[in-house]
Amino acid sequence: MAVTIDGSAGVTTNAGGSVNPSTNISGINFSCRAFVNFNGTGTVAIRASGNVSSITDNGTGDYTVNFTTAISDANYSSIASCSPSAGPNQRIVVMNFGAQSNTIVAPTTSACRFSTSALGASADVEYVHFSAFR
Amino acid sequence: MNQRIIYPTDDGGVAVIIPAAECGLNIEEIAAKDVPEGKPYKIVDVADIPSDRTFRNAWEYSE
Repeated sequence: MAVTIDGSAGVTTNAGGSVNPSTNISGINFSCRAFVNFNGTGTVAIRASGNVSSITDNGTGDYTVNFTTAISDANYSSIASCSPSAGPNQRIVVMNFGAQSNTIVAPTTSACRFSTSALGASADVEYVHFSAFR
Repeated sequence: MNQRIIYPTDDGGVAVIIPAAECGLNIEEIAAKDVPEGKPYKIVDVADIPSDRTFRNAWEYSE
C-alpha cells in the first residue's frame, strides 16, 4: 500500500519503504530549461530541441546554444556530451569555452557556448547533446 | 528549416546559425534575436553552406 508523506509535494513511499519521487519535491521544481540534440558534422542540423531557438556553429567543434526564452539567471547547470566522430578516439566537451577564440565564455541567460575536441584539438562530432537545468 | 543565417566573427571567420524548427520563431525573428548586436548578417539556403568541413575554420564571410 502506498503511503503519502506529503501530498502537496508529491512524494510517496511504497510498502517496502522506497521513495517514489514525482516531479515535485518540497514544492521546488528543478527542471530542464532547455535541451538540444544535433549533428555537428557535414551539414550541421538539429535533430530535436526544447526552448532552443538555434545553435550557432562558430567553427570546428565550437557551438553556442541560443535559448528561445531566457533562463531566469545565468547560474544554471549546463551539461553536454558527445559521441566519437569516427573510430574509438576520445572526444571531450569543454563547457563555457570558445575554441575559435581560445577563451572562456561565460554563460548568459540567453545562450551557452561550449566546444568539442579530440586529442587537444577542436573537432566536429556527429552526436552532440546539451541540457540546461535550473 | 532549410535556411541558415551567417555573420562574420571577430577573428575573420564566419558563424553559421542553424534554426530550430520547433521553436515557433521564423528565420527573421531568430536572426534578430541570435545574431550579435551590430553584426551584419545574411540569410542563405542550406545548400549554400559547404557540407565538407575539412577547412571549416578557413571559411570567410563575403558581402
